[in-house]
Amino acid sequence: MLWACLALFVLFPLAALVARAFFEGGRFAPGALASVLRDPNHLRAFGNSVLLGVLVAVASTVLGFLFAFTAVRGGLPRAWTGVLEATALLPLISPPFTTAIAIIFSFGPRGLVTWHLLGLKGVSVYGLASTFAAETLTYFPIAYLTLKPVLAALDPNVEDMAFSLGSSRARVFRTVTLPLTVPGLGNAFLLVFAASLADFATPLILGGNDFPVLPTQAYLQITGLFDFKGGAVLSFVLLVPAFAVLLLQRAWVGRRYYVTVSGKAGAQTAAKSVAAWARWPLLAGCLVVTVVIAWFYALLAYASLVVALGANHAWTAVHYRVIFSEGVKAIRDTLVIAGLGMPLGGLYGILLGYLVARKVFLGRRAMELVSMVNYALPGTIVGIAYLIAFNDPPLVLTGTALIIVACYVFRYSPTGIRTTVALLQQIDPGLEEASASLGAGSATTFRRVTLPLIVPAFFAGLGVVFIRSMTAISATIFLISINWTLITVRILENMTELSLGPAAAFSMLVVAIVVVVMAALSRLLRQFRTPGRVMVASLLGG
Amino acid sequence: MRAVRIGWLAALALTWAAAGAAPATAADTLNAYSIWPENWARPMLQEFEKATGIKVNFVRFSSGEALARLIAEKNTPRVDVLFGGPVETFAAGVKEGIFEPYKPPAFAALPARFKAADGSWVAIADDPLVFMTNARFLKDNNLKPPASWEDLLNPAYKNMLQMADARTSGTAVTRLFSILEVNGRDEARAFEYMKKKRRNVQLYTKSGGGGTLPVGLGQAGGGIFFIVDALDTKAKGYDVVISFPKEGIGTSAEAIALIKGAKNPELGRKLIDWASSPAMQKLYAPHKINFVPAHPEVAVEPGLAEVLKGAKIFPIDDAYAGANRKRIVERWVNEVLNLRE
Repeated sequence: MLWACLALFVLFPLAALVARAFFEGGRFAPGALASVLRDPNHLRAFGNSVLLGVLVAVASTVLGFLFAFTAVRGGLPRAWTGVLEATALLPLISPPFTTAIAIIFSFGPRGLVTWHLLGLKGVSVYGLASTFAAETLTYFPIAYLTLKPVLAALDPNVEDMAFSLGSSRARVFRTVTLPLTVPGLGNAFLLVFAASLADFATPLILGGNDFPVLPTQAYLQITGLFDFKGGAVLSFVLLVPAFAVLLLQRAWVGRRYYVTVSGKAGAQTAAKSVAAWARWPLLAGCLVVTVVIAWFYALLAYASLVVALGANHAWTAVHYRVIFSEGVKAIRDTLVIAGLGMPLGGLYGILLGYLVARKVFLGRRAMELVSMVNYALPGTIVGIAYLIAFNDPPLVLTGTALIIVACYVFRYSPTGIRTTVALLQQIDPGLEEASASLGAGSATTFRRVTLPLIVPAFFAGLGVVFIRSMTAISATIFLISINWTLITVRILENMTELSLGPAAAFSMLVVAIVVVVMAALSRLLRQFRTPGRVMVASLLGG
Repeated sequence: MRAVRIGWLAALALTWAAAGAAPATAADTLNAYSIWPENWARPMLQEFEKATGIKVNFVRFSSGEALARLIAEKNTPRVDVLFGGPVETFAAGVKEGIFEPYKPPAFAALPARFKAADGSWVAIADDPLVFMTNARFLKDNNLKPPASWEDLLNPAYKNMLQMADARTSGTAVTRLFSILEVNGRDEARAFEYMKKKRRNVQLYTKSGGGGTLPVGLGQAGGGIFFIVDALDTKAKGYDVVISFPKEGIGTSAEAIALIKGAKNPELGRKLIDWASSPAMQKLYAPHKINFVPAHPEVAVEPGLAEVLKGAKIFPIDDAYAGANRKRIVERWVNEVLNLRE
């Protein structure tokens, strides 16, 4: 069943694209390939892409860990944890164009911060530094979402044992906590690296003239030079570093033993791994990021409430009236699509993650690779591949919501998949074996034992699919139709028309919707998890 | 199996999603991709519906995205007409064989540069380039609005110009050929100029109008844009100045075309008849769309005529541009965009 889905929505579109790009009159014509790969500008772009990916992945993983560690182990009051949670979600929500505008408005040559506040002259906002900063802010939430369930599942008793053997806090952190989160760290790095490799919106706006990266080159090749082949080749090249990191990550994570959820946990003890004094520096570190993000959103909120940012700062509500009259169809369509994609993406994520992490079957590795393909390819290519594949019989999907839903599910589920994999690496297979030996079938075991344990991954995956459905544009610009349009397309359109106000108002609406949905989800998650834990403890405890 | 049950549920949900999307294909409904932003396309197509009773469903894309979609959908076209957008995009489309030639009644009245000889596309508007500068920037630097191409080389503009990238934007290609034209098509001289100007360019944007907002906000001092984008920036309330170089500057036509294999070709032809005639083009002025009408019988709106007064504007020679475009853009990428100093 899963293979059928993967074949249909990942391999088939890809094959259709390859057929269109490399075969002329039924014969393989690789001529374009070699010349594109030899171009020194493209080689430079490839180098830049990998460099950017590594930098962003390292920084995001560190930042994500800081947030997750502070939230889970910091022993902070609930309100602070809420602030951290919100900070970590907001950047994921913002449509790329609005963030870039906020950055340019703040840090540009005449920016509020660089010019008015610091009086700097001749600042260039475009290049590696700002692209790196913007992508790190955008993608560290993925690392956070991957790491938080892993840290939360890490039994504090393991740390307690080390303490009772006389270790210092620093030593416990270095030799117990950190090594045990390796599966989470590895998967977070992988996810952010691939996301940065495939991102073209941020570098398109902030990269400037001297920092070309491959996804933007591919986009230019297709939509600018009308060179399908060249764009396809450049995009496929991106799969090489993405797969290399997937394999490296597996080699690094794979050899050790991370099980801390063995079913033998004693009573829950409070985490002691963070000293009382250390809480505040940790929190302060997080708050710096919070302030930056809050600033961007404050600017966005301001832009949505004035006539024209930078020209006429009189207050007005007209932009909101515009979006609630002209924008209603886009809002409704987006909600339907996101609502459909969310549960499907969550289920697909944990099923695939479970199969890949727990079951031994032929082609397991292949399945893992294939599940990453749509995530690691730039959206432009995925969108065009879907369009080519599903425009003609046998399967005509263009013009339906289904094609957009499928695109989201198969493109944005890797967060759910990787989180599931990381969590399962912490969970003793003995739990499942015990269930099986008591006579439960594999479906029952999955439902009664495994599922409650990986519910956090389900919600992480589902959350990301929902947020991406509300905010993504690169692939779906090719999939929207007269029948189905999206809020992000409206935002892009408003930006084209220089209507910052409605664009900002739409962005604020997206933020509001996502915050409400995520709050509801986390409430649901709490209800799920508490009985789950109790069940584990009472069934197998002691 | 659990997985199977989930699969069924998913299939059910998706069938519902697919069913909910039954395309609207009434007898008098036409489908189009528009390259014009919605704030121009929507009023025009509504006027068309008022005049003929034919409803037009449309989606808006940038020129490159529209063309990429049309090429991908070639075997089963989803729309009947490509509406608006620079002639260049249409020329590229002709090479891909996506258009069905059609000569509307206005065809004979149009000058040669406003139509493809075989009727693959016809022009509906003309759009000259302008220099647009931020008024505050000019004042802070004691500058007059640039009145010559040479003025843009002034070190005061260092790192403060934004204009479009020739790989993605028709605006930029028109600019390149303008520079060639004012240099008497002497490529060595034209490229020498572009390399000097490169020092003052903060950013080459991906879309033609990408730099208008930064110039409006003062993040950039100025740039070269199509007049419609420049006048729109002004209309939004940004304090910008429009000027023209005394050596002259190029202009580019906006076109419309019928898609090959269209499902409603008759309705599509009616839209082309209407759009290429004065019926639509005399509506630009009342709707504050600052295109210059392509049809010779439609007068230029007085406000727009005032801006254009005294400006030296020349058309880009299609044959010359068509034959050299790819080479010139490649040379621009290698020698100007990737210039290392």
